[in-house]
Amino acid sequence: MTERPSIGVRHPTGGIRLSERTWGYLLASPAFLLVGLVAVAPIAAALWLSLHHRLPVFGVDEFVGPWNYIQLWGDDRFWAACRTTLYFTTLSVSAELLLGFGLALLLDGLTSGVGGSPRWAQVMIVVPWAIPTVVSAQIWAWLYQPDYGLLNYLLHQARLIAQPIDWLANPDWTIHAAIVMDVWKTAPFAALLLLAGLKTVPRDLYAAARVDGAGAWQQFRHITLPLLMPVVVIVLVFRTMDAVRVFDAVYVLTGGGPGNSTETLSIYAYKTLFQTLQFGYGSTLATAMFVIVAALSSLYLLLLRRHLQEGA
Amino acid sequence: MTARAVLILCAALGFGCTPSGDRPQTPNTVLLFKHGTLSGNGAVLSDLLREFERRHPGLVVREELLPSSSDRQHQYYAMNLDGGRAPFDLLAVDTIWVQEFAKAGWITSLDAFLPPAEREQFFSGPIRAATFEGRLYAVPWYIDAGVLYYRLDLLARHGVAPPKTWPELVHAAQRILDAEQDPRLAGFVWQGKQYEGLVCVALEVLRSNGSDLWGGDRGRAEASLQFLRDTVAGDRITPVSVGMADEESTRQMFGSGRALFMRNWPYAWALFQQEGSLVRGKVGIAPLPSFPGYPSAPVLGGWMLAVPQASTHQQEVGELIRFLTSPDAQRLVALGMGYNPTRRALYSDESLVDARPLLKDLYPIFLEARPRPVTPYYLLLSQALQPEVSAVVVGRKTPREALDAVRRQVRRIVGSPDLPIHVEGL
Amino acid sequence: MSDVAENWRRGLVRWFRSRGLALCILVSAGLFCLGPVLWQAVTSIKTDADLVRLPPIVPERVTTAHYERVLFQSSLVQSLMNSVLVAVSATTVAIVVGGLCAFTLARLPIAGKPLMLGLVLATSMFPPIAVISPLYLLMRGLGLRDTLIAVGLTHAVYALPLAIWILTSFFRQLPGELYYAARVDGCTPLRALMSVFLPIARPGLAVAALLVFIFSWNEFMFALTLTASDATRTAPVAVALFPGLYEIPWGDIAAASLVVTLPVAGLAALFQRHIVAGLTAGSVKG
Repeated sequence: MTERPSIGVRHPTGGIRLSERTWGYLLASPAFLLVGLVAVAPIAAALWLSLHHRLPVFGVDEFVGPWNYIQLWGDDRFWAACRTTLYFTTLSVSAELLLGFGLALLLDGLTSGVGGSPRWAQVMIVVPWAIPTVVSAQIWAWLYQPDYGLLNYLLHQARLIAQPIDWLANPDWTIHAAIVMDVWKTAPFAALLLLAGLKTVPRDLYAAARVDGAGAWQQFRHITLPLLMPVVVIVLVFRTMDAVRVFDAVYVLTGGGPGNSTETLSIYAYKTLFQTLQFGYGSTLATAMFVIVAALSSLYLLLLRRHLQEGA
Repeated sequence: MTARAVLILCAALGFGCTPSGDRPQTPNTVLLFKHGTLSGNGAVLSDLLREFERRHPGLVVREELLPSSSDRQHQYYAMNLDGGRAPFDLLAVDTIWVQEFAKAGWITSLDAFLPPAEREQFFSGPIRAATFEGRLYAVPWYIDAGVLYYRLDLLARHGVAPPKTWPELVHAAQRILDAEQDPRLAGFVWQGKQYEGLVCVALEVLRSNGSDLWGGDRGRAEASLQFLRDTVAGDRITPVSVGMADEESTRQMFGSGRALFMRNWPYAWALFQQEGSLVRGKVGIAPLPSFPGYPSAPVLGGWMLAVPQASTHQQEVGELIRFLTSPDAQRLVALGMGYNPTRRALYSDESLVDARPLLKDLYPIFLEARPRPVTPYYLLLSQALQPEVSAVVVGRKTPREALDAVRRQVRRIVGSPDLPIHVEGL
Repeated sequence: MSDVAENWRRGLVRWFRSRGLALCILVSAGLFCLGPVLWQAVTSIKTDADLVRLPPIVPERVTTAHYERVLFQSSLVQSLMNSVLVAVSATTVAIVVGGLCAFTLARLPIAGKPLMLGLVLATSMFPPIAVISPLYLLMRGLGLRDTLIAVGLTHAVYALPLAIWILTSFFRQLPGELYYAARVDGCTPLRALMSVFLPIARPGLAVAALLVFIFSWNEFMFALTLTASDATRTAPVAVALFPGLYEIPWGDIAAASLVVTLPVAGLAALFQRHIVAGLTAGSVKG
């Protein structure tokens, strides 16, 4: 993108001439003011807390520097939770991206035709995401019930299973049940973003490609995908952020069990902070989560950096 | 421009609609009562509070609700009480939190509002759970204990008496399941999900074998945990789904006629007797079984009333607590909301027992109910326990491995040199 | 086969190939997305006794008791109003403030853009559970405990990164010539933004607004912690208050969750026109 320096503009009324740069800082400042006021102070407090041993019940409140982090390094439960969280994140985000792409392409195809746009189709994909997470987790807990849940009933009626499956009681299956629920809920986020992105791709590019003899897949690979990369990066970054921090979806379904097999980092941090009241170590866990998310996001941005520049 | 107008309008709306409720500008003293959503008819409690206001002119009581989930309430109280300036005057605490809150200095002693002579009138279990270093820190509000539900009709049809021991229960369940040949009927359902309820169940089974989770006879402890696992894997009277079952899922199972025995809290009884319930009139309640030679060991539940250390209206709140736990108030709550009173005398109160005959059966159970380990570190211990017992329930660990892990963790939490404590009930 | 019939057959096959497959997939996608919601709808009209009875899927006896309880005997309707208020305010603030910032990041020559983007993202990366306690104490200290402002402000701030990133991406893709043309004509960057960019950035704005709205609508943890009374509660918190100590009134929750979803679905329907507008309007050529 070529950036022109401040243009020599004669303001009609002769008012103050601010350079583009100044305008830039001016316009961007409200955002940073807001963020600084409301978000930064609590984060700083949490970081500060992570350097303390803070256990109100034991009457302990002392500054211990990096001791919590050293303890974190040797904490098996932390590493187990890390593994569970990363597994959840990988499967969940991949599935959401794929499913979101599929839905977006579908709706794009349907809405660009002569037949008019089915409004209900778009509303339909928003609905799972519009339901609050605590409610949707309960809905799926209900669906997964082996005895009176709809899922087992339908599978049984379709003669696909003979015995009811214990979706949530089998430690091997539980995390996948939670992933399905999460994908169901958040694929619309990806779909919406990708759909909006698809709509900004100029139609004549496709027309030109068709004239050159390119098939649908080639059009997708060489036109759609590159132009959509910025949006894909947004989806990846934000969905990864949310997946690493997933809490309600898993907690309501399983409580972290059975046998801590579905304990994600958030659940471990929540239990440490608010059930065992270890405020210092809990903040350390939260900081570790932040580091993981930051690392993953930086990874995406680094790998996909060239796609972030203007595509057209 | 329209965009600006919309923006201003929204800002105005947002700023204008902020105050919470219609707070009258009067010199009244406002007492803020924080508690979780209650079951039954919430108006009963509101009426009681209005009655209190009538008797104490100048005092206004406002309720603020929290989600009924014990976890979320604990989180809320931890955040507020830790700062030292809690914005509320009265809170409802779970039985297992009192020790912890008392040790942290978050709640104040209520010795003045319930002198030792009066404490005799309450069940001893809750009083013990609310006493920290010799002083009372909470007044029991309502009480719960684990009970055994059974299908009257099915047991009668096969000539089986309600079992008194666990082996009897297994035997009866197997016999009836064989005879009924109903693939959808389960023998015994209980709460096996990884949460606090599982610890209650585990303690009930362990203690009824003369053992405990981290003390007592090791061999019997292993046998008890093995018993739990066997109901699923060995005797097959319990479905595998018990590994994700909590109170409501087991209640639904039993309530749709798909279980023979159930371990649950007494709340389910009223729901089973409702119009349209499939098991209406077919449900019986009995004390939990035990192992031969040992008494039944139901675990104590229930909630209590406590006062934050920082409350500036301690005298008035004390009055409110005395009012809410008075015999009349407890009778009204029992009748209108189905909560079990904590005063022993009410269980021989004719008007109450006539309206709620179940109380007669519950009385001996409540007398026997023992609290979970009475220690400020209970939640820490429970956190260490839950995954281990859950792993046994789903067969991931053997009872021996689980108990080893439990004892290791408990020793680490309780026995470390910086934290010398005495734990009652261990 | 006669020529006419053969043409019909070919036409049908062609139609199916071009449309039918897509429609089939759409129907399956629809079932996947809406299945659980439809199940909720069915559950919300079942009587209490039938809630766990599985065959039949469609109940014989229906009742409106759950909706009556939810709409007339609980504070859900007021919570919906609160949610609307909070979501609209948060969306407005996030889009306006975020839009200004995004425009800067997309078009204006300031230093350290990647750093700014990263910083803004980093603040919303921190897990809410660790932040919730200090944030609550901050709001309490400011005297904003149990107010809608606290919730709206928090939502706006935590949605800001999403808004900024989406809008930056969309603004970058809009052609620069229009902006420079406007500047040459004597507009300040702000006026250029408002008169030139906004009209053609509709898809980006619409999608960002919708996503922020839904985020605010659904947000639970902050809303739960920062509000306390009936008058300030938002919808997800109200639904979370339905369960009693042990029992979960499943029919009521099903009814409540549908009621809570409707406004958002309506908004999505309203916005979809803008989202699909795209660049086909033809205003960009030349």
